Amino acid sequence: MFKRSFSLTRIQHIKRLQSSSSSVPKYSTSFLNSNVSKTTARRSTSFLNGHPAAIDTSNKVNPDEKSHFETLAPTWWDSKGSQRILHLMNLARMDFINEILRNYKVQLNANNSNGSKNDIDTDLYIPRFTTSVFPTEIKKNIENELNAAIYKELQKSELTVLDVGCGGGLLCESLARLPFIKKIDGIDMTPAVINIAKQHQSLDPVLAEKLTYAVRSIDEQKGQYDIVTMFEMLEHVDDPKEILISGWEHVKSNGGILFLSTINRDLISWFTTIFMGEYVLKVVPLGTHHLSKYINSREIIAWFKEMYPLSHEVLQVKGTMYIPGKGWVNHDCSNVGNYLMAIQKK
Amino acid sequence: MFRRVPPLKRINKASSNISTLGSSIVNVINHSKSTTPLLSNYYSTIAANENNSSTLPVKSTDILIVGGGPAGLTLAAAIKLSPNLKHFKTTLVDAGNLSENLPKFHNLSSSAYMTNRVVSITPQNMDFLTGDLNLPLQFNRIQPFDGIYVSDGLNDTSRMTMDRESMGNMVELLNIQSSAYMKLLELNANNNTNPIEIADNCKVVDIVKPSTTNATANGVENTNPWPYVKLDNGETYKTRLLIGCDGFQSPVRKYAGIETRGWFYNEWGVVATMKLEYPPFNHIRGWQRFLPTGPIAHLPLPGDWATLVWSTTPELSKLLVSLPSNVFSKLVNAAFILEDGDMQYYYRKLSDAAVDKRIFDEIIEDIDYRIEVKSQQLINKNNSDMYYVDENYPPPIKDTLEKSRARFPMKMFHADTYVAPRVCLVGDAAHATHPLAGQGLNMGLGDSKSLVSVLEKASSRGLDIGSVDLCLNDYWKDRYGTNMMLLGVVDKLHKLYGTRNEVVVGLRQWGLNVVNNLGDVKEFMMNVVSGRK
Ligand SMILES: Cc1cc2nc3c(=O)[nH]c(=O)nc-3n(C[C@H](O)[C@H](O)[C@H](O)COP(=O)(O)OP(=O)(O)OC[C@H]3O[C@@H](n4cnc5c(N)ncnc54)[C@H](O)[C@@H]3O)c2cc1C
Ligand SMILES: C[S@@+](CC[C@H](N)C(=O)[O-])C[C@H]1O[C@@H](n2cnc3c(N)ncnc32)[C@H](O)[C@@H]1O
Repeated sequence: MFKRSFSLTRIQHIKRLQSSSSSVPKYSTSFLNSNVSKTTARRSTSFLNGHPAAIDTSNKVNPDEKSHFETLAPTWWDSKGSQRILHLMNLARMDFINEILRNYKVQLNANNSNGSKNDIDTDLYIPRFTTSVFPTEIKKNIENELNAAIYKELQKSELTVLDVGCGGGLLCESLARLPFIKKIDGIDMTPAVINIAKQHQSLDPVLAEKLTYAVRSIDEQKGQYDIVTMFEMLEHVDDPKEILISGWEHVKSNGGILFLSTINRDLISWFTTIFMGEYVLKVVPLGTHHLSKYINSREIIAWFKEMYPLSHEVLQVKGTMYIPGKGWVNHDCSNVGNYLMAIQKK
Repeated sequence: MFRRVPPLKRINKASSNISTLGSSIVNVINHSKSTTPLLSNYYSTIAANENNSSTLPVKSTDILIVGGGPAGLTLAAAIKLSPNLKHFKTTLVDAGNLSENLPKFHNLSSSAYMTNRVVSITPQNMDFLTGDLNLPLQFNRIQPFDGIYVSDGLNDTSRMTMDRESMGNMVELLNIQSSAYMKLLELNANNNTNPIEIADNCKVVDIVKPSTTNATANGVENTNPWPYVKLDNGETYKTRLLIGCDGFQSPVRKYAGIETRGWFYNEWGVVATMKLEYPPFNHIRGWQRFLPTGPIAHLPLPGDWATLVWSTTPELSKLLVSLPSNVFSKLVNAAFILEDGDMQYYYRKLSDAAVDKRIFDEIIEDIDYRIEVKSQQLINKNNSDMYYVDENYPPPIKDTLEKSRARFPMKMFHADTYVAPRVCLVGDAAHATHPLAGQGLNMGLGDSKSLVSVLEKASSRGLDIGSVDLCLNDYWKDRYGTNMMLLGVVDKLHKLYGTRNEVVVGLRQWGLNVVNNLGDVKEFMMNVVSGRK
């Protein structure tokens, strides 16, 4: 019995792979080589114009993707329902964001206080292991103080966030609950998910003031932010680099950070996200992923090097992997499967 | 004084499910009967009507702690000290007069007297209280001890010494409560934008869950609505997370519909504060003897004070708290050294309806005499001197502090889960154990520590801390097993010693001696008692 369903899903899957990748060669082409030449990459306007789909990028959302997420909208917030994997992944990426903010907030602060001397006492950053020589009581006190100091610094930050492709708002709500986030805008091109996001927001009074949702494309969005996030969305758009370019424009310079997560285009990703996730374990709704749209972490890094050679720094790239029964676990192998990335704008 | 249990008065009112601690303790025997009519009340899902019975507006809070016992107050301090949690609006409700009793206790100038609710705190938990929380405990009222001397009342030759440096610390519950309370006041003074609100002198009278559809204005279904907690002063709070630190009778647990498993031991514990003839001059240790009626424990306090937990039959417990204090004191001395037969004789004599001053005097004289004889026998038998008795028996007590005697029914119970949507249980609300291993509050403090770290994690991830699936479940998973193990070990020990069966008594003799000589098992038991795992 097991065998039969196994072979069936496999056939289905291969069919899907063939149909979805008919126009794009599977492994040879990276997401940017096909459209961007090295010379045009430098000047972003010509790069945009040169792109065949650039005429109405602003309103472009793949209709299949849209209807897919429309059907998922009603169960978006059921942490045990169709989006469970996303709920769990949200934990891993919040950990990732926290880690980055704790380590790189200095720049963010400098940015915020408009060049005024930042008053961080760098002596506070004694590595944790040195405290182990102290008696417990003192150690605990030091750790408490250290934590408190880091938090105090962060709290002063009052960061602003733009979440692109926010879906039902899992990340938006999480960020909005952090005391050091001042304002967060969530945008998405699927009205149904924005509806759900708004409804869910109304259930928690703490979210009322900081969080605003809109059905809006990234190009229509105004303003610059300390943090721009694009989680689990690049693999759902037809033109990831358009989105990346616009997203990057919304990041404040002098320390703003772009966070993104997506999936490496490799066999392991196919195996874990599509074969295991959608077909065998059925923890991801069928039709969520298309291998051809996956982007390798190396490609993004290379692309940033070309596009913005002097104004960006890749702070961190982490692999993240779903282990049934354990949830998402971040790891150092960022070239396979899902990954998280933080890029700072200089 | 705060929270003293009325010794004999049996308050039996089925209607007051949530009573003060004092009456609830006397009331628990009828637990199953008295709660039935109330469950319907707690389960009711009344559409949250903001002006239901009271005209006061509903107050909103992120964390509502019900119970200002040692668990509730230390948890509150841990929350307000945590960089990750202190931004939550936090409220603590207690039926007692915390704002008067606790500062008063904290400002006692000396250890002129000791209170009768004293617990042994493991070194690990002392670290938590003094290190993590940095509580201003009154250290001159705390007695560290280095071991427990365990013996078998039916079997003089079997005994076990569990000696280990800093096995535990004898601390008054009021010392813990008051220091946590003072810490909270201090934190409030430094953080006047978001202080903890302490609502004392008010009881939780009802908790209702708003219906899921009417909970919000725009008609969105709310699958996890905030519970409404009603107080007897007419106020109502709605809260993101409701933490029940409300002891054995826990109204929070009843609201959440969490079932418990356990039983009463048909045994009551008598506590008392005792004055010693002279302070111990050698080891400072606890003494425990397993009598056929239940274990009796004599634990050290600073100077010439000691505290007693004497578990015995319900009838005898009544008798013990009603005796004149000089008779009671002699009986305690007798219980640690005389034979079971002697004790049975005294119990019989004292239970007699016609007992009078003459009989009391006779008994005192008799006990003195027999202890003298027994001590001499022991010295001769062991070819030793006076010190033999000092070394192997607790220091004799001179007197028992006036009004310090109280009695509690002994029980063991465990809640099936510690969490429900927007609810979690901590301390005695989740579990209770026989005090023979001194684990009750230690388990509660372990709960607090665990809950705080789970909430910190969830908060740093920006989750709704009322979510069972993504947050609270981790707390339950972390604690249930550990607590179950402790409850199990303590219960097995109790069963083992709760019998006169000769075979078992024989095995026990063998057992205690073997355990005394078997490093590993003894080490394990010492670890359980002292909280190291
Ligand atoms: C004889 C004896 C000896 C013990 N020895 C030890 C020992 O050596 N070591 C050890 O670790 N433990 C020991 N324990 C156990 C220890 O005392 C308890 O575990 C501990 O006191 C429990 O603390 P708590 O805060 O969880 O609950 P409690 O102390 O029961 O506090 C509950 C609080 O909730 C409040 N409350 C209840 N209902 C309401 C309501 N409706 N509205 C408002 N407020 C309410 C009460 O006023 C009270 O303040 C012993 C217990 C006994 C009986
Ligand atoms: C898998 S969901 C991820 C949602 C959210 N970022 C998260 O991780 O919780 C992908 C989202 O991207 C949105 N999306 C797809 N194409 C988009 C586009 N071109 N512009 C904006 N959003 C888009 C979809 O509507 C969907 O909500």
